Amino acid sequence: MAIRSMREKWLLRTAAVPMALLALSCIYPVFFTVNNALKDNKGYILNRFGIVKDPSVQNFIDAWSRAHLGEYLFNSVTVTLGAVVLLLLTSSLAGFALAMLRFPYRRVLFIVILASLMIPVQVVLVPFYRTMLGLGLVNTRIGLILAYTAFFLPFCVYLMTAFYSRLPRELVEAARMDGATLLQIWWNVMVPMGRPALLTLGILNTLYCWNDVLISLLVLQKERTVMVGIAALRGEYTTNVPLLCAGIALAAAPIIAIYVFFQRQIVDGIAVGAVKG
Amino acid sequence: MPQIVLENLSKRFGGVEVLRAVSLSIEKGEFTVFVGPSGCGKSTLLRCIAGLEEITSGTLTLGGKRMNDVDPAERGLAMVFQSYALYPHMTVAENMSFGLRMAHRPKAEIDAKVAKAAQILQLEPLLARKPAALSGGQRQRVAIGRAIVRDPEVFLFDEPLSNLDAELRVQTRVEIAKLHQTLGNTIIYVTHDQTEAMTLADKIVVLRAGKIEQVGSPMDLYNDPDNAFVAGFIGSPRMNFLTAVVTEAGLRLGEVAAPLPPLSTRLRPGETLQLGIRPEHLDQTTGIRMPATVEVVERLGSTTFVHCCLDSGEAVVAEQRETSARPGTKLDLYFDIARARLFDKAGARLR
Repeated sequence: MAIRSMREKWLLRTAAVPMALLALSCIYPVFFTVNNALKDNKGYILNRFGIVKDPSVQNFIDAWSRAHLGEYLFNSVTVTLGAVVLLLLTSSLAGFALAMLRFPYRRVLFIVILASLMIPVQVVLVPFYRTMLGLGLVNTRIGLILAYTAFFLPFCVYLMTAFYSRLPRELVEAARMDGATLLQIWWNVMVPMGRPALLTLGILNTLYCWNDVLISLLVLQKERTVMVGIAALRGEYTTNVPLLCAGIALAAAPIIAIYVFFQRQIVDGIAVGAVKG
Repeated sequence: MPQIVLENLSKRFGGVEVLRAVSLSIEKGEFTVFVGPSGCGKSTLLRCIAGLEEITSGTLTLGGKRMNDVDPAERGLAMVFQSYALYPHMTVAENMSFGLRMAHRPKAEIDAKVAKAAQILQLEPLLARKPAALSGGQRQRVAIGRAIVRDPEVFLFDEPLSNLDAELRVQTRVEIAKLHQTLGNTIIYVTHDQTEAMTLADKIVVLRAGKIEQVGSPMDLYNDPDNAFVAGFIGSPRMNFLTAVVTEAGLRLGEVAAPLPPLSTRLRPGETLQLGIRPEHLDQTTGIRMPATVEVVERLGSTTFVHCCLDSGEAVVAEQRETSARPGTKLDLYFDIARARLFDKAGARLR
């Protein structure tokens, strides 16, 4: 580290104060959730902000079984997994085609896809719901998987196209000279080369699908995903805050685990892409 | 029967005509080099033969069969790209075997072919490495290996040496020449470097602006160019061009009078021509004398290039093996008119 002047040191220390406050404001809700999830309702009412004295996991057990969070979690996992896999497959295929192949109206098609990025979900909710009804996809997990894929696909296609455009076209040409079919080129060359972008998209889409309430609420009305389930834990007049906290902690746990696990791989992935091969 | 025949082959990109009615035939086992300045269409011509670009009009015949619309992989060709285009996520062995694996060949056959190619190119110790862990020259050899493994009728090389440093380029050039002798396949090689073309080719095809200017053996092109462009492009340093005016007695180059070499074309007095003379032909002690002033002297050890300015103001380069010329001094250059080549104003050769 370079030697800094006194002036710069002071500047850094001054800047550290607002940054620490910002960090605290992010961490405190997490602490609040975990802390209160371990209290019972009485303990919470008597002492909202104090640290838990006699921690118990009863809230977690209640949330899992009585509030059906177990079932909801299963729904969320199925739907998220399905949507993410479908998204990655379609977007890498589309990105390959748009970036590497030549066909008529390629640019127009790309612009149309980009344009659909600008439309917010809320605007198309009614026609979307009617379509889902018409197709008989309401209250099916497949329906929700397709809905997530449809809404998040433009961004994924855009990102994959941009990523693949930076790869040399000669890689595809060499594979064509080697006698590979388009599908073989996609699977053996484009998918492995696209790994960094696919990983990033995988993480982002997992977050989006997992955290979504709006689309899920519309499509899965009888069953629920975990985020909708948690929202339902809030009563109109009273809310069992410790139970809600336990639910939130349960719902957030898989995402946090995935993020911690993949963080290293994201960094690695970016490094792989940066080195010219 | 020639192995590759192009008949009136044209290629357009939108409104731009990149190749204009190119006709050419290439014999089996021939080492053909496409050479020309950048943008002349040489790479496009190669890519049309490879099947990576669609042919707008004209026909391409390989081994007697029309190949215009045949898939690149089924033309019996293998190509080495300028950037090598190695798959960065595969090892050297996987890179080389890719084509065979895609064709679902038996594993024993794949291993045998890769081992043989690796042995020819001395790649055995590198088979387990990824391209990122290889030097430029090694990557180049892997790219060639990937082509050899497919056992093609014809090799296509697209400026394969342009990413190597000068020393490695000379070395790899020799390796490619040896490879051609060992394998005996037909090779089409694209370059903008006339030295590569001269040293490697059995047949050179000089292209300019999408048209073939001349086809011939390296020495034919060097000694007997069809036009001023080929004369200037082939040979380094390039041929000197001087303005010559036809007189009753012969030619006048500035203040210098010269006899007219024997020509079948009749010239009218007063006509302006270009006289081309190669630098090494200005290393004489007799013949037509041209007084000049030395500007720069480049000593290469084995020979010396003297850059001079003639009294007429024209710049010339003379190659002189033994010279004591110094910048700023006067020097008399002599040449034999039989060595000179004459071109009309448009650049066409006068014979």
